[in-house]
Amino acid sequence: MATGTDQVVGLGLVAVSLIIFTYYTAWVILLPFIDSQHVIHKYFLPRAYAVAIPLAAGLLLLLFVGLFITYVMLKSERVTKKTQ
Amino acid sequence: MTKLVQWLWVLAILGSTWVALTTGALGLELPLSCQEVLWPLPAYMLVSAGCYALDTVGCHVATFHDCEDATRKLQSQIQEAQADLARSGLRF
Repeated sequence: MATGTDQVVGLGLVAVSLIIFTYYTAWVILLPFIDSQHVIHKYFLPRAYAVAIPLAAGLLLLLFVGLFITYVMLKSERVTKKTQ
Repeated sequence: MTKLVQWLWVLAILGSTWVALTTGALGLELPLSCQEVLWPLPAYMLVSAGCYALDTVGCHVATFHDCEDATRKLQSQIQEAQADLARSGLRF
């Protein structure tokens, strides 16, 4: 078995993914079938956010990946310019 | 048929089914709760795929075996190589 921090990090990732999955499944799939007067609807945002939040998160991720690539490319360009 | 073409086919079929059902092009009268479940489904698929990927990575990080013997052998080999090269005059 992997040592200390590896196990903690791995199990942490699994826990996070399970939490996100169950919350999102309940939001998208279970909630429409529950009576709109039930108290559980208090714990979930309006339905439009179920698409808006993952979309915004995906765009942010793409933005960060693009910025990282730009940064690495600029850095390597500066290094080659120095050695020329 | 390559894997990419297969995946694109599956995506195209599922996508067109979803579009047909959400725009009511098939003329089916789905109950309101079913329609409510249907329209966020692409986002739901993406989020579940992301969660599955995160889960797999987490499992593999947690169960990766450390190879104690290989580590020790490799480190001793590195030290041997360093001593050898230092003797031949290469400076680190």
